[in-house]
Amino acid sequence: MPGALVAIADPAVRGAFREWLLRTADDELILGHRHSEWTGVGPDIESDVAMSSIAQEEMGHARVFYEQIASDEGGDVDRIAYGRAPTEYRHAVLLERENAGWEYSIVRLSLYELFEAGRLRLLAACGREPVAPLARAIGREERYHRLFAETWLRRLAGAPEGRSRVQATLEAAWPEALGLFEETPADELLRREGLLGETQAEQRESWEAALREILTDAGLAVPQPPARGAGAGQGGRRGVHTPEFERLLGQMTEVWRSDSEAKW
Amino acid sequence: MSRNDAPAAAHGAAPASRERRWGDPLGRPGDVWCVFLQARKRDPHVYVGDVHAPDAEMALVLAKESYARRDPCVNLWVVRLDQIYATPPGAAEIFEPATDKRYRFGGSYREQQKVYRSGWRLSHREEDQ
Repeated sequence: MPGALVAIADPAVRGAFREWLLRTADDELILGHRHSEWTGVGPDIESDVAMSSIAQEEMGHARVFYEQIASDEGGDVDRIAYGRAPTEYRHAVLLERENAGWEYSIVRLSLYELFEAGRLRLLAACGREPVAPLARAIGREERYHRLFAETWLRRLAGAPEGRSRVQATLEAAWPEALGLFEETPADELLRREGLLGETQAEQRESWEAALREILTDAGLAVPQPPARGAGAGQGGRRGVHTPEFERLLGQMTEVWRSDSEAKW
Repeated sequence: MSRNDAPAAAHGAAPASRERRWGDPLGRPGDVWCVFLQARKRDPHVYVGDVHAPDAEMALVLAKESYARRDPCVNLWVVRLDQIYATPPGAAEIFEPATDKRYRFGGSYREQQKVYRSGWRLSHREEDQ
């Protein structure tokens, strides 16, 4: 089945949409890998199972979007997922960070899933087959990811000590959370061409409004915008990553690199 | 399970000399929740196992991945284990018929078979197979 890209005649628009699909897939793959690191060491067996299951689903979503690229350009999905240089990955820096405790992973998941819900709504409305229906289907699964994250977030912030730890984690993650909305020329072009209904700034606005409700409900506050330069936490969408990502990539691709032509 | 390690022991066991009362709670800590899964609409909810959770919402969230990530499911119930009351384990023989009670089985009536088989309760009963 041909992907969505082949139907876009203008190469610049096609390139921009490819960038969006790649970014979406990379976000899911990298966060999925980080979540898979909780397997076996989660705070209780039930949450361990649930987080591992979420990790699998995120990788499954990544595959769906990589397949869109692969079906139009040839090449296999594993090579797109594992065979690139670090600077060719387009996920936000937030998602490559090591799991600094369960509260960090839960805060990050809460911030990310809310962002992802908005992005999937945009893709579901992009009018391109088969991306739009795929985005709708994936959105159904992400609903549980959000529920899991927010249910845990409220419990962690349920008493004063936990609340102050979660708030501190939130403050520390904030600049990189805003990096999810880093704008590149691709965003502007897709907005102008009508493929995407919102700019990154508009997406961030609705994200913050929805987040405010969730955080307030949990007794938490939305952090203030970073004082020093808006650039902190950005770069991921342009391929600028941290040493933490290079370590992740080395580990994640170890088996694939040992025999990249192997059929499983 | 022997009388001595019966779960209700933590709640104050009956004196050893006396048969345990009908209606003792299953007991155990209050953070254990029993999970009941409904596979399809109009199917009964079937007990599938337990989860540990501090409250009902978390129990449902965790039960979804523990029990409904592979097989079909349309609805889950959770019930705190200490809110379930059970007949004592030693009472099993009270359910066994002492005389032939085939007259109670409605197996020869087609409509009744349909009703019976809509529930899991009797699906394993030989007379209805």
